[in-house]
Amino acid sequence: MTAERFLRHETILAVLTVIALAVLAALSDKFFTVENLLNQGRLMSEVGLVALAMTFVIVTGGIDLSVGSIIGLTAILLGVFWKNVGLPLPAAMFAALACGTFAGWANGFIITRFSVPPLIATLATLALYRGLAEGISEARSVRGYPEWFFFFGQGEVLGVPFQLWLLGIATVIAIVILGLTPFGRAAYAIGANETAARFSGIRVHATKLWIYTAAGFLSGLAAVIFVSRVTTTRSDMGTGWELDIITGVVLGGTSIFGGRGTIIGTVLGLVLIQALKNGLSLSGVKGDGTIVVIGLVLIGAILAGALFDKNRGG
Amino acid sequence: MSTEGVTDQRVAPIELRSVSKSFGGNRVVNQVSFDMRPGEVHALMGENGAGKSTLIKIMAGLHQADEGEILINGQPVKFVSPRDAHDRGIATVHQELLLFPELTVAENIFLGQTPKGRFGVIDWDTMRRRSRELLDSLDSGDLDIDRKVGSLSVGNRQRIEIARALAQDARVLIMDEPTASLGEADVQRLMDIVRNLKARGVAIVYVSHRMPEIFALADRVTVLRDGSHVATRQVSEVDETQLVSMMVGRPIDKLYPPKLGESGDVILELKDVSYRSTVRNISLQLRRGEILGLAGLVGSGRTETALTIFGITPATAGQILIDGAPQVIASPERARDLGIAYIPEDRGQQGLIRSQTIKENVALAILKKLTRGILIDAQRVTAEAANAITKFGIRARGPEQLVRQLSGGNQQKVVLAKWLATNPRILIMDEPTRGIDVGAKAEIHLLMRKLAGDGMAILMISSELPEVLGMSDRVLVMNGGRITAEFAKTDVTAEAVGTAMTRSHVRSDAA
Amino acid sequence: MTAAAATRIGRSNFQRFIGGYGQEIVVLLSIVVLFVVVGAVNPRFLSDNNINSIFAGNAYIAVAAIGMSMIIMAGHIDVSVGALIGVIATIAGTLAVNGYPVWIAWGLPILFSMAVNASVGALVAYTRIPSIVVTLGMLSILKGGLISVTNGEWISNMPVEFMIAQMRPFGIPSAVYFMVVLTILAALFMRYTDFGRAIYAVGGNMEAARAAGINPERTVVGVFALHGLFAGIAGILFATQLQVIQSTVPPNLELTVITASVIGGVSILGGIGTVIGSTLAAILFACIGSALIFLNVSAYWLRAVLGLMILATVLADMARRRRAT
Repeated sequence: MTAERFLRHETILAVLTVIALAVLAALSDKFFTVENLLNQGRLMSEVGLVALAMTFVIVTGGIDLSVGSIIGLTAILLGVFWKNVGLPLPAAMFAALACGTFAGWANGFIITRFSVPPLIATLATLALYRGLAEGISEARSVRGYPEWFFFFGQGEVLGVPFQLWLLGIATVIAIVILGLTPFGRAAYAIGANETAARFSGIRVHATKLWIYTAAGFLSGLAAVIFVSRVTTTRSDMGTGWELDIITGVVLGGTSIFGGRGTIIGTVLGLVLIQALKNGLSLSGVKGDGTIVVIGLVLIGAILAGALFDKNRGG
Repeated sequence: MSTEGVTDQRVAPIELRSVSKSFGGNRVVNQVSFDMRPGEVHALMGENGAGKSTLIKIMAGLHQADEGEILINGQPVKFVSPRDAHDRGIATVHQELLLFPELTVAENIFLGQTPKGRFGVIDWDTMRRRSRELLDSLDSGDLDIDRKVGSLSVGNRQRIEIARALAQDARVLIMDEPTASLGEADVQRLMDIVRNLKARGVAIVYVSHRMPEIFALADRVTVLRDGSHVATRQVSEVDETQLVSMMVGRPIDKLYPPKLGESGDVILELKDVSYRSTVRNISLQLRRGEILGLAGLVGSGRTETALTIFGITPATAGQILIDGAPQVIASPERARDLGIAYIPEDRGQQGLIRSQTIKENVALAILKKLTRGILIDAQRVTAEAANAITKFGIRARGPEQLVRQLSGGNQQKVVLAKWLATNPRILIMDEPTRGIDVGAKAEIHLLMRKLAGDGMAILMISSELPEVLGMSDRVLVMNGGRITAEFAKTDVTAEAVGTAMTRSHVRSDAA
Repeated sequence: MTAAAATRIGRSNFQRFIGGYGQEIVVLLSIVVLFVVVGAVNPRFLSDNNINSIFAGNAYIAVAAIGMSMIIMAGHIDVSVGALIGVIATIAGTLAVNGYPVWIAWGLPILFSMAVNASVGALVAYTRIPSIVVTLGMLSILKGGLISVTNGEWISNMPVEFMIAQMRPFGIPSAVYFMVVLTILAALFMRYTDFGRAIYAVGGNMEAARAAGINPERTVVGVFALHGLFAGIAGILFATQLQVIQSTVPPNLELTVITASVIGGVSILGGIGTVIGSTLAAILFACIGSALIFLNVSAYWLRAVLGLMILATVLADMARRRRAT
């Protein structure tokens, strides 16, 4: 039953995505070109990386609102470590990434150690991490990165953007971990019934801590790619991304109550959103009109799910 | 029974006539008639699953009867919602007190029926004054009406629920195991309050397992068994033994399978184990092949002791030895790895993930074992679940069926399958047959005997005295977090255990 | 004996006040301490001008936080309130510039706001979709709708009579009156009406509320509509406090509003809190922001300070709850 339901939501979503792609291709001949599609893939990679971790977070019944701020903080630290502290750029990248990962771990620690609801814990760190980024940078941007650094955000491997490879590999790893390993089963069990999971000998706190840490790490990774793509570092990077990311995950069929969801669904949700954004703007819909469509699609998809599935829950 | 209604001229504030109720084809209340007189305390007794709670839910309007009629003051009525029962003067003091922890005492008493001043505005002064009066009339003058309910003790919260019923001007008050989680001092106060209500003409349906209270308070007693009415008697005309035999209905030793084999070496030993104030200096020994019964009232520390052994609430003092070696059990994983399994009391919350499949549930405690490399072996998971279904006789469509679609007995078998898959040597079973029909109950009892026969050490917690007596090779009685009595199989009787439970209660109060 | 009699009747009014408003008193004391300390270091902090700008410039946040507090007390959340305020401001400004009477320019957007939030409430209550998902979708719709309709053009040259936040009866900016009066009205409403108490009950224990004869669904729709009313008024204040309306969603406004509610003592778990606390917390933020400038601390650290404050408040709340149970 559960497996069937997963498949059903993903099938609906896949069909929806195909229809959207077809319609958008018909509306604009620029849409369905290899160049455009690869470019769109490049644009969705950063959000996509974080969304993979967010899927785990939401599957356990949690949420992480601070990912956008971790992106901003990591980006700023990268610039500061390199330019102000004077570390070599590779070391600065590593150090910034470590800080992003630590920020994620801190979320997990607050949530598991003090039983703070994830929504409120990460709301606090959303403000805190963004505030640190602003305070450290004092709104100064960092520019002038060496040419080789732009490979991560702008380079290609075998004709495909570097970050799309990264997203692809990360997606496969995430699918395997969530779908096929004991860790993944533990995540679902925690989201469906945390007490029963604990009574079954599952390491609830450790599992959650890993997941929030991973969200921090992938946010940091997304930040490095983002900086490399746009060649500059600013403290407002990633502002509001948490909502885009959560929208993608929820649209992909992951239940905000936890216990249900798949990586495939998340990827489909992200593709659908990106295709709508790009296709509609190519078809002449004004820039932000596409956001309206995304909002409608989100509410519509969840509403349809709720109506089809009346006897949801434990 | 011929005395009923003849000597008493007053009409019954509530009467049920041949009421029946089924859930999913399972008839839980069968042709039961029940009546109340004004100012009467009427005890309702029966084993778990006898139909008591369904019957009181019908009276409270939470369930609708399939057959039969309800009369209020002689008039037939239909209850569609709890509101209807409220309006007819029937109130319930629930076991899981339905209060709002963040609102004050006064507000809780009057929520949904607040006194209004001009412009429909809540009249706080009247509300507080009347709350004060109500609590004073319940001899609870010491209760601060402005305190938030969340900070109050269970006994105080219960008094608030009773005050709430009085504020509704209830004529019938249903009390569902009101003393189940009270300390002795609170029990005495509650009994005074019940007498006080009785004197005011409130009819009280009193559901309880505790014999001393029933003999002290009740005028009449009705016994239910397997959903049917067994008898209604004047309390003065019956004694405890008669009541027990009415409840159980058949000789106990025939109901339970006999012991197979002999008890072996000590496998689990507790030495002065404590957890905060709920588990106090527990020392016990559990042997291979033995079923050790742990009796006691709810809140006496039985489940708390189990949770400490299982690592949910790790011991704060004392020593736990397994095979003679001291162990620190700080988590359920550790307990599992030491060969301890725990079948929890609350199946839906603690035992199972009801929204997942049988397969997923059975695999939950042995995920590591079912993993090859880093991946879960899906075939082995399915095989494990299919094997469990045949081995335990789980009635299900297959491993993919959702657990929440199974009956109580089959759900309990899934919990058992999950834990027996870990190959435990020590099995703790907390209320192993609660809410399970008679057939599945017998199957689980048989399984327990078989496991013990194969050398498993079983610690069984049960509130059903017949089960404790029938299944245990030895019985420990707990109270106030301590072990207060021990009986061998040969010299244990219902009376002895019951008395020990009550007596120890008084003693712990004096201590 | 007298002490016993006192407990019998209930605690004194003073004790009840302290007990019921612990968090609010902490926030109020923080504001006072801030004024004394910062004023001592830099007396210009206490100038009329600065105090006016602290209170008047942030009144709309306080007003929005009143509604948000009710939403959170009922056990829900609204992440779209910032976008809604942006939309309200734009609609109101457009109506005013196009010559509609000010009553329509003020009233129509408020009705719109209530309608939007009532439908959000209905979705949340009857389909059981979590409020964070519905309001997330609503955030996209409002934000995208706003920018695509206005193209981000600013609205200016609004008639003087429309600029309600800039009016100064008795020398005090009218935004301050709004903040104070609405806070008091909301506090009375929460305390003295069945609906107000039902909000607490639904947030505290939904099933027990149903058993007590409260209709939880209707309560949720009602509380969202009420939140829409406050968001609408906040939008009007926001629209009229400056000479131009930027026609964009004020960044992070929803988080500022939610934070004000939480720091003011509203528990994110529902069932607890007062609207007075959220107003005080909104004032406290404004004071901290201003104080950092007067203390020559870089204002860039403001948000980090706020983040730490939320974290500290929440941890204290969790500790208090743990002790209570």
